[in-house]
Amino acid sequence: MRKLLFISMLVLSSLAAFAQGGQTVLSGTVIDAADGYPLIGVSVVVSGTKTGVVTDIDGKFELKAPQEKCEIVFSYVGYDDVVKLYTTKNASSFSRIVMSANAEQLADVVVTGVYERKKESFTGASATFKSDQLKAVGSSNVLQSLKTLDPSFKMMESSQFGSNPNVMPDIEIRGKTSVAGLKEEYGTDPNQPLFILDGFETTLETIMNLNMNRVASVTILKDAASTAIYGSKASNGVVVIETKAPARGRLQLSYKGDFGLSLADLTDYNLMNSREKLEFETLAGVYKDNGNDPFAQLRLDNLRNERLKEIERGVDTYWLSEPIRPGFTHKHNIYAEGGEDKIRYGIGLSVGNVGGVMKDSDRKTIEGNVDLIYRTGKFQFSNKLSINWLDVTNPTVSFAEYAHANPYYRKYNAAGGVDKYLYYPEEGVDDYPVANPLWNAHLNNWDTATGFGFTNNFIFEWFVTKDLRFRAKFGLTKQDDDEQTRLSPQHTQFDDMGETEKGLYTHTQIKELVYEGDVAVTFGKLIAKKHMLNAVGGFNFSNNHRQIYGYSATGFTDDQFDAPSFANGYPVGDSPDYNESLKRAASFYINGGYAYAERYLIDFNYRLDGASMFGTGNRFRNTWSVGTGWNVHKEPFMQDSDFFSLLKLRGSVGNPGNQNFSAYQAFSTYKFNGWMTNVFGTGVILNALGNADLAWQETTNYDLGVDMTFWGDRVNMTLDYYWKHTDPLLAVITTPGSMGVTSVAMNAGSQKTRGWEAALRVSPVYRPSEGIIWNISINATSAKSVYANIGNSFAALNESGKSSLVGTTRYYDGGSPTAIWAVRSAGIDPATGKELFIKKDGTYSFTYDVNDEVVVGDTQPKVEGLIGTSLYYKGLSVGCYLRYRYGGQVFNSSLFQKVENIGTQDVYNNQDKRALYDRWSENNRDAYFKGISLVQRTEKSSRFVMDDNSLVGESFNVGYEFPDRIARKMRIGAMNVQLTMADIFRATSVRVERGIDYPFARTVTMSLGITF
Amino acid sequence: MRKLFTYIALASMMALTSCDAWLNVKPYDKMSQDELLSTESGYIKLLNGIYIELNSDMLYGAALSVEMVEIMGGAYVIGTDNSVWGNYSDLASYKYGTDYWRARLNETWNKAYSLILNCNLLLENLEKTDVAFTGDNARIIRGEALALRAMLHFDMLRLFGPVYSQNSDALAIPYYKKYSVTPNSLMTASAVAAEITRDLNEARILLANDPVRTSGTMTSAPSDGSSTFMYYRNLRLNYFAVTALLARSALYFGDMDAAYSYSTEVIQAGTDGIFPFVDKSLVIGSPDDPDRIFSSEVIFALSHSQRNKLFKGYYDPSRIPNYVFRMDNDMMSSIVFGGGASTGGHQDDYRYRVNWVATGANRYFYKYSDMVDSGNIRNTMIPMIRLGEMYLIAAESRSKDIAAGVAYVNQLRSNRGVGNLTALTRDILQYEYIRELYGEGQLFYMYKRMFTPVLFSTVASRNPAPSSAVFVLPLPSSETDN
Repeated sequence: MRKLLFISMLVLSSLAAFAQGGQTVLSGTVIDAADGYPLIGVSVVVSGTKTGVVTDIDGKFELKAPQEKCEIVFSYVGYDDVVKLYTTKNASSFSRIVMSANAEQLADVVVTGVYERKKESFTGASATFKSDQLKAVGSSNVLQSLKTLDPSFKMMESSQFGSNPNVMPDIEIRGKTSVAGLKEEYGTDPNQPLFILDGFETTLETIMNLNMNRVASVTILKDAASTAIYGSKASNGVVVIETKAPARGRLQLSYKGDFGLSLADLTDYNLMNSREKLEFETLAGVYKDNGNDPFAQLRLDNLRNERLKEIERGVDTYWLSEPIRPGFTHKHNIYAEGGEDKIRYGIGLSVGNVGGVMKDSDRKTIEGNVDLIYRTGKFQFSNKLSINWLDVTNPTVSFAEYAHANPYYRKYNAAGGVDKYLYYPEEGVDDYPVANPLWNAHLNNWDTATGFGFTNNFIFEWFVTKDLRFRAKFGLTKQDDDEQTRLSPQHTQFDDMGETEKGLYTHTQIKELVYEGDVAVTFGKLIAKKHMLNAVGGFNFSNNHRQIYGYSATGFTDDQFDAPSFANGYPVGDSPDYNESLKRAASFYINGGYAYAERYLIDFNYRLDGASMFGTGNRFRNTWSVGTGWNVHKEPFMQDSDFFSLLKLRGSVGNPGNQNFSAYQAFSTYKFNGWMTNVFGTGVILNALGNADLAWQETTNYDLGVDMTFWGDRVNMTLDYYWKHTDPLLAVITTPGSMGVTSVAMNAGSQKTRGWEAALRVSPVYRPSEGIIWNISINATSAKSVYANIGNSFAALNESGKSSLVGTTRYYDGGSPTAIWAVRSAGIDPATGKELFIKKDGTYSFTYDVNDEVVVGDTQPKVEGLIGTSLYYKGLSVGCYLRYRYGGQVFNSSLFQKVENIGTQDVYNNQDKRALYDRWSENNRDAYFKGISLVQRTEKSSRFVMDDNSLVGESFNVGYEFPDRIARKMRIGAMNVQLTMADIFRATSVRVERGIDYPFARTVTMSLGITF
Repeated sequence: MRKLFTYIALASMMALTSCDAWLNVKPYDKMSQDELLSTESGYIKLLNGIYIELNSDMLYGAALSVEMVEIMGGAYVIGTDNSVWGNYSDLASYKYGTDYWRARLNETWNKAYSLILNCNLLLENLEKTDVAFTGDNARIIRGEALALRAMLHFDMLRLFGPVYSQNSDALAIPYYKKYSVTPNSLMTASAVAAEITRDLNEARILLANDPVRTSGTMTSAPSDGSSTFMYYRNLRLNYFAVTALLARSALYFGDMDAAYSYSTEVIQAGTDGIFPFVDKSLVIGSPDDPDRIFSSEVIFALSHSQRNKLFKGYYDPSRIPNYVFRMDNDMMSSIVFGGGASTGGHQDDYRYRVNWVATGANRYFYKYSDMVDSGNIRNTMIPMIRLGEMYLIAAESRSKDIAAGVAYVNQLRSNRGVGNLTALTRDILQYEYIRELYGEGQLFYMYKRMFTPVLFSTVASRNPAPSSAVFVLPLPSSETDN
């Protein structure tokens, strides 16, 4: 609100330049209809003239009125204009002018975190979502909602970690700009966008923990024109989040609560039942002695008979139900706010617990925040303090172990207890014991983490003149995390170890201190009513210091007593961990914008960045961008028609960079040869080879877009076409051993991406005055990337990908980062049961040759997006959003590993039903899969690549805003309830196990908001 | 307003100029190169670090001294029972391509080149540093680092390169003379040889004022507790060690004149008392605690703080039923330490009396077992090059006719308690190498150099014939793939 006010001051100040003498003076105060507080900077203009003033800091104005009747127009950004007739006699009626906010208009400002611009005069590609929009589609966190609202914002689904609330997702805006594999190397995801919270850089985890009810708006900045102000941090896009500022008025208390229920989605599991599993094992030859030893054969026969007997007794254990539970989530937020014009305050407390669908999977958060705004004369001080506490527990036995357990074993023994082993081979039998997952789960193991931290952001603003503002910001964040895990000495992992080596306790402490400062001057002026000038210049610095301490202890003797003091000692050869990274950055930036008659727009950004991660040879880097726009609907030739209320063409180009890289990659570092000293004392040796000439990763980004609103605001459309060229890429490249290191961070090659985005919203029924709106929205996105100039740099990655059983990604010039590489398969030969491969030259062969690999699919869908509809009827709202994905492929690892490629060890794990039914045999010659065999290795071929088209019920919601009269009866200010369902169904063309270590969840949440 | 702009402009300019210093972050949990190499002691520590790393199991702490390369050199009886001998039987039959040995060779290769990189980083920084060094230290450090670089390349060439005498123009290994983030390509063996010789020659010039030439090896710490840097010269690549390496490499590259002149220079230093022959009393006078490695004759040794691991891990008869490395009994009794005039082998040989101890029916190798005086520096020494080899090189390079070198061999033998040979043949010279350098990782290179069968046994058919399949190790896959 404050910011809007300021902008309008800038825009309209020039209008106040005129005054005429000897006339009646109209004077009065302009106040806000919502809270009765004065509005500063409202323009008061005599209609049809240039005569006008703006209201002062107390909302007061004095306007020398004309001699004759006229209309006086009060206008203010974000508010509906008030037009009042001056009859020359009603001067006194101008003493109190009430203006009310226009909810639609509020959305029309782009908040970049550094400056704000009217959407209409902004040349960048961005999308802004308000708190109610975010809340309408989901209630878990801001990012979950964002992914439903904007298709370019992607949260990558993790097949490994499913819906584990404690695993942070990988996030991308408009696709990847960096080579995969770096995350493993560096711990930070180089494709992650930049997150800005209330003007300060923050972490993904902070955003994930942030209670949604505190959020006022989220803006996604996508192209160069909008992100370049963040320079070398911006190539992955920027997410700008603003929390709510306290509102003026008497003390107001509000409560927001969310109550959710999550259930595991196990429909993707297609496991065998006990009879099927035994049959599969029999066919696979588990009960056949290869040495034809009659005694061994007898034992195997007995074993099989015993299992069969159990099956006959009705044993068909469903293990998957064991580790899961209904996950209950509850979150509460209480916020008290109030104050008058000079001082405003807000105090909030958020408490929440996200219960995952696996037992012992919880994420508890408590967050307190204090917001203060003090304004006096030309100065404003605002401070936001938030304190957070986090408590996390994770299950200690992964879901996969339950999925592996065979259905012909009983969970419990006859006495009702849990046995350590489901099967333990007799003495002298060369066989694997089978552990009972319930055994490890019932022990006193734990995996927990706690965190405590605070963030204090202070902003000082000086409104030097109407057109000029000075701003200084300083933010400080301190975060301490503490992770502890414990494995009981009775854990099967320690079976073969000595008594003093059993049990394991690990403790890791992470301490982080971040500070960031920023000084900026903002200027905005409308000259001669036609030339709108905007400028921002500033300086920014940041310091990020992170320390990690850790140690392990072993030698516990008891399951129950688990304090680290009961440990016998440290693991042999283990030393304490200590890791530190210090990253610093300093930047100078400038942004300028010029608009002619609101029609022709031009914007430029320049930023000079310096960062400690880059070597002395390449410490500073320039980022620039230029954006232009044309508001066609403002052209005189369009004025006659009011069909278009917005028609804007825009284009931008710029070169934002990426510095999500490790702190010391540019430096060579050394370590002591700790293992030995000699008569000469200690020695040191190279630890990591730095590359001082490492160049920053840079993405040249082009964007062309059009924004349209027409048919009386009923149709709203945005189209964007973009292409990005990341050059050079920064990658950790495997090198020949003779270089003295096996890998080195290097600049290698480039990546080109082309894509488009479209968003369409149509309102077939649009009667906002009656509170009836029906919206249909469709959005879509598509992108394609290729590598260029990488030559042979990734040969080692390609080789290891070829030789390993997993990994279908290859790095070749012209290849796509998301392409699936494998040898083409012509299927299983019905006569022999062997797989027939298609060689590169198109000929057929039974021999697999890894060099015949070609692109057989792409995991990137041709088009992906959301279809949604929402209906508002008075206080009632209903929404439904479906995610669709079309034209992509997937390498079906379930088929590859759980149907074929079941080795001598894997056969003891439960497998996919298709491993039994769809296999080739003399009686089933048309089968899709090879015959059952334990020793046959299946190679990666196109047979396992399948079309991955899907339709997911991402969000369904029903909400109701109680009418005032009911709320009043209940003696509360306002009340609303909402029911949200997330990921409620999933229709897909491919059946593949998802949620390997942690299942996916379907969630229903009831939300309640009350203002007292 | 204008003022404000001026202030801001000024402030940001000041900020930017002081930025560079502020952005120059030094890691605390690791030593940055700038910090480490800002003092003389940093260079000394880095150099010492390289010497220490040579003791790694992948290099001279096992693989290139007593284990891998010595098995390839036919020194040990290797059984075929996998449960006892693990992967060693593959190596003894020169199956370099198994996963295990590919990985092991890869490790050795990577480790050697990582130390070469350390040498190069040291040399490059030394070249441009403005650190003031004490006395002649800068030259000594530079000389030793160059020699280390040459020595490591030389051993990689001897392992992975072609049989030099047969095919010196074949592509061998890359020679790294400076730190680079782009790989160097393979060079021919003769080109590598030239680089090795150049580096060693330069090192020898830099080490011209090495105190070893005047004060000897100085195998005790200075009594005043000052820096040991210029002491224990036999634990560093001193002037004579570099000269000895030149002799060894010249012989390998077929430059007989150079080999003769360098080896005799070192022999002279031995005669001058810098590397005296081992005192008989230390060997046979104290049979309970002999100086088994003949420490005074060692021109350059590594100092391994747990050298005992070599004995305990490979040679100790108490390892049974696990594998134990020892010589074939027939080889020992009828050739190496038996056989009389036709082989030069004799049971009175000191090298037999102190290093081979009987347990049961076999004799076991005790060269690396500790002396009783446990704190003695001798207990840490892994000999890298010794005086005895210089006599053998001199004998071989004296003339085209190997028999002409018999005097040098006899000089050595007279200090080993065995009588003179009447004539020297290549076979006897090889036996002498086995007697003198057993367990020091040189035998494989000798057979490769001479291109003769590897002597595992007295039965000729069991000794693999010379071929590149035996002598030329495949380059690690990381080298050929990238």
